[in-house]
Amino acid sequence: MGVRRRVGGFVLLVNPILCDGFGHCAELAPDLVHVDEWGYPIIVTEPVPLANLAALESARYAVRGCPRQALRIERVSDAH
Amino acid sequence: MIALTSPYLWYTTRATGLVTLVLFTLVVSLGTLVANRVGGTAVGRFELNELHRTIASVAIVFLGIHIVTTVIDSYVATGPLAAVVPFVSPYKRLPVALGTIALDLMVAVWISSLLKARIANTSWRFIHWFSWLAYAIALVHALATGTDSRHGIGLVVILACLAAVAGAAAWRFTARPTRAAGRTALSPLGVTPEPRRVQRDPVPPRATPDRGAEAPARDATAFPRRPQPRRHR
Repeated sequence: MGVRRRVGGFVLLVNPILCDGFGHCAELAPDLVHVDEWGYPIIVTEPVPLANLAALESARYAVRGCPRQALRIERVSDAH
Repeated sequence: MIALTSPYLWYTTRATGLVTLVLFTLVVSLGTLVANRVGGTAVGRFELNELHRTIASVAIVFLGIHIVTTVIDSYVATGPLAAVVPFVSPYKRLPVALGTIALDLMVAVWISSLLKARIANTSWRFIHWFSWLAYAIALVHALATGTDSRHGIGLVVILACLAAVAGAAAWRFTARPTRAAGRTALSPLGVTPEPRRVQRDPVPPRATPDRGAEAPARDATAFPRRPQPRRHR
């Protein structure tokens, strides 16, 4: 199981309806989330390999820290 | 048994009551800071959010001690049912009932926050508004029930808590951002404009450990930046 989890990649997804631009995600996952001029997130769209544990951890922090629960982590089978 | 008849449980009740009030003042004020999008330069917005959540859990522990010591103390007769059901306490029926109502509201807020990922966000927000009501009722409870609250340092503490939360409420009501309030200075695009830093210091800025070296867009020499718009607040 521990081996399987590291195969593939993940993307961080934002629900734009829920997002109110608190900006917590950009502070918690600065490598995955950029902020536009109005404070809304621009999320890196290409999948990040699950083996990138630092990125995965920061993504989890961003999901947990979102005050509007607007973020989630989606697993994709093929990382670039 | 000695503990039940000695005054120390009663002292614990009084002390933890006051501490709980101070902690919930902090929680409400920090929640206002989060909701009003404070932070981003010296302290991160997410850090205020984490403080809000962490101090809230500490305050719940103190509230639990306050209630348990009140129930098992034999100096005043409240009874275990009075901890959750209002208006059943033989001792100071109305003031204790206020505390009970505040507790029930706080438990609702707490449980809804624990279930935040599972319930609709609008439901969570609606329930979270009741924390203001819970705080107000708890403050009246402290004034009406508290042995130490009408004179001396207890009164000073309660008035300070009242002033802090009243200020937070006024600020929440007047400066109420419903939309985004601009990028934060900790965000990658919100940092101090890089060219100025390069002029001051010819050595390129070191990669900070948390952001890592794999962020090519942050390299000021390779990536010409657009002029930064005026930052809000």
